[in-house]
Amino acid sequence: MNMHAKINPDISSGINPDISSTIKKEWQFIKKDAWLKALLFWLPIVLALTLWAIFSVGIARNLAIGVVDLDNSVMSRGLTRYYDASPSLSVTKHYSTAEQGSVALRNGSIYGLVIIPFELEKNTVLGKSPQVTVFYNSQYILIGKLINAAVVQAHGTYIATIEVFKSLAKNQGQVEEAIGDALPISSQITPLFNSNSHYGQFLVAAAVPAVWQILIIATVVLSFGVYQRNNNNKNKNKNNWLMAINKQTIVAKLIPYIIIFWLQGIIFISVFYGVMNWPMHGNWFLLIFAQLLLVIACVSVATLFFFITLDITRAMSFVAVFAAPAFAFMGVTFPTSDMPLLAQLWRDLLPISYYIEIQIQQVNYGTEFIDSGGNYLMLMAFSSCFYVAILLMNKKKSTLLHQTTNVNKAIPQLTSTPTVIPRVRDVNNDMD
Amino acid sequence: MLIMTWTKLFKSELNAVFTNGPLLVTVFAGVIFYSFLYPLPYSEQTPQQQKIAIVNLDQSQLSRTLERMVDATPQIKITEQVNNITDAKLLVTQGKVQGLLLIPPNFYRDLLLKKSPSLILAGNATYFLVYGTIIEGLGRSIGTLSAEMKVTRMLIDGDNIALASSQYSPITLNMKPTFNASIGYLYYVVPAVFILILHQTLLIAMGLITAGQFEKKINNSAEITAKGYYWLQYPVWKIILVRTILILTIYLFLTFYYFGYSFESYGISRLASIEDLLVLIFPFLLSVIFLGIILGLLIPRKELATLIILLTSLPLIFTAGFIWPTSNIPMTINIIAQFFPSTPAITGFLRLNQMGDSIENLVEIRQQLWLLTLLYATIAMLLMSHKQHTIKNKSTK
Repeated sequence: MNMHAKINPDISSGINPDISSTIKKEWQFIKKDAWLKALLFWLPIVLALTLWAIFSVGIARNLAIGVVDLDNSVMSRGLTRYYDASPSLSVTKHYSTAEQGSVALRNGSIYGLVIIPFELEKNTVLGKSPQVTVFYNSQYILIGKLINAAVVQAHGTYIATIEVFKSLAKNQGQVEEAIGDALPISSQITPLFNSNSHYGQFLVAAAVPAVWQILIIATVVLSFGVYQRNNNNKNKNKNNWLMAINKQTIVAKLIPYIIIFWLQGIIFISVFYGVMNWPMHGNWFLLIFAQLLLVIACVSVATLFFFITLDITRAMSFVAVFAAPAFAFMGVTFPTSDMPLLAQLWRDLLPISYYIEIQIQQVNYGTEFIDSGGNYLMLMAFSSCFYVAILLMNKKKSTLLHQTTNVNKAIPQLTSTPTVIPRVRDVNNDMD
Repeated sequence: MLIMTWTKLFKSELNAVFTNGPLLVTVFAGVIFYSFLYPLPYSEQTPQQQKIAIVNLDQSQLSRTLERMVDATPQIKITEQVNNITDAKLLVTQGKVQGLLLIPPNFYRDLLLKKSPSLILAGNATYFLVYGTIIEGLGRSIGTLSAEMKVTRMLIDGDNIALASSQYSPITLNMKPTFNASIGYLYYVVPAVFILILHQTLLIAMGLITAGQFEKKINNSAEITAKGYYWLQYPVWKIILVRTILILTIYLFLTFYYFGYSFESYGISRLASIEDLLVLIFPFLLSVIFLGIILGLLIPRKELATLIILLTSLPLIFTAGFIWPTSNIPMTINIIAQFFPSTPAITGFLRLNQMGDSIENLVEIRQQLWLLTLLYATIAMLLMSHKQHTIKNKSTK
């Protein structure tokens, strides 16, 4: 075929060996599309702010509990006051029967129900060890655990005061020994790496990257779709857009997205660990480098999804299946080590799993690069998706080319087909 | 003739749904695939055998007993023995263990002297569930040892054993986890997330079909009949009615697949009767269907439906009230969340199915879902007729 044939100007506009002009064109294209603009600029901010705002309190306070006080003595009221005094708890309701309290527990208006038995005070004085029962809502596990810990602590403090008082009476006022009697062993509990047990720092720092992964993959898929749509509107042929692109143009097209998403990542970690002063013990450059690797990994996966389907809606369904459940598999809320093998395998397919490990390692432990090199390598490995996508694209293009050539072979004697022939030549110019 | 048109409309609608690939993938493959994928990470229910390091600076017989007690709890496994706290912390940083226990020197002696020796417990609070598990396991073994020590002392003081063991603590505390007695993580996440999956896939489905139709451009009014664009021919209320009936039927099956087969196979409790569930299912599905139609009419291109819904999932789950207490969420966010049917529905279904609340107590949630249904149905009708008119007007010009 004649390689020096005149290039059809209409189609050649889609192909440009000059990378910088392709990037510029992509930029124009983003500016024109309100949705792409939203996804790249203001939606991520809204999403991150919302996630942060939900957990902005950080430590849950004043969780509603109810009390059924069947004793109504000085001691039972004292115990109730101790529960109420715990910052996590708030005694909001008193019920006269356990049944009433149980209704409130079932309808969610209280998270815990304390039942103080009849003759609590009398039995305590007689040394009969009465029992206080607390039903707490463990359907809401996190809330339930908070209630459990707070009640156990408040109760412990209260009985310690009673015991100290008791043994003071017995041992003629030796305070230290009395405390030792009441609390044979004391313990000092230290939460490592999240010393104030801030739930926001824990969850938001993982939820934002999870949403970010969805955002990157979905936006890149969308950008391919918009491109496909725009170029098909101009030209009647359904696959013109495909013929008009090659590996270089795709890379150039993706560069603005990679830069913008990378900036998004840098901004969110700067806000969390800089502006908001969340503790950060590691190396900023390693973390920012990992973010770049994550963005490239997600962009590659997105490119693959698009070229598998060549249909934006279908590709978006892939994104949904792939990225939507990612948060559950990240291993932050439920430990990876307790997941079954199949869940761990699915987890291994998600770029964000590797990134979140790096983020935790840098933020909390300040791990050396060497000690988590595997995670960086895995993130890099995702770029192979991009090459598979290019292979798929070239294969599709050659099939199309083959079809067109066959048509050309059959048709020339009958009619001249000026619109088809240049297109084929164009493709040949750009195949390599 | 009227029957004729209804049948025709129904057939067109059926055809539109069952030839829409992405819709079928989302609805059928999505709902069923997610029913296996989402519970997968949690199939072990509770974290067990978390690895910790022990620093025993006492080396008495009692401290070794404590070690054995700690190791015997299901929550904890001692995998490392080190000589100082720095080494133990390093092991945590390297991810080899998730926590540590330090037994101070002279632990046994101080205990005998009633000096209340202090143990140091630490857990990796990067992972809240891991941290909670370790502290719970350690706390439990220390509590048991404390109680044993008290009983021993009472015996030394001359109390008899039955009395001594019953009064080692003046008021005992019995903490009863309720509704999810085993505190299983799957029982916690899955019943709520499944409602959200139904909600999200239904919104996507409605968005795909509605936007897919109304985004089609027409050049002249003849095309409407020629190409069979039935959504521009029938009155809006008929289209919405037929679409609602069809999708509602499909989703009733899927909802019962979740509440029935899935819950059963995961052993998730189903305290509500089918009739009570239906009382909530109808307004839930209907409000979501109408909200989905609105979504489809507002977006210019159908693929945006999937994208928007994907991005809303995590905020919706976190504001639903079962993860983080609503009372601790900013009011503005709570108000916005109430406009998504998933928020009242998750609370409602959890109360019915998991917490055994009776349907009579769910008046507010039922009212809210029906109000949303009414609101979204009205908006959907107005929007769709507006859109029909604009498209038709354009085509006649």
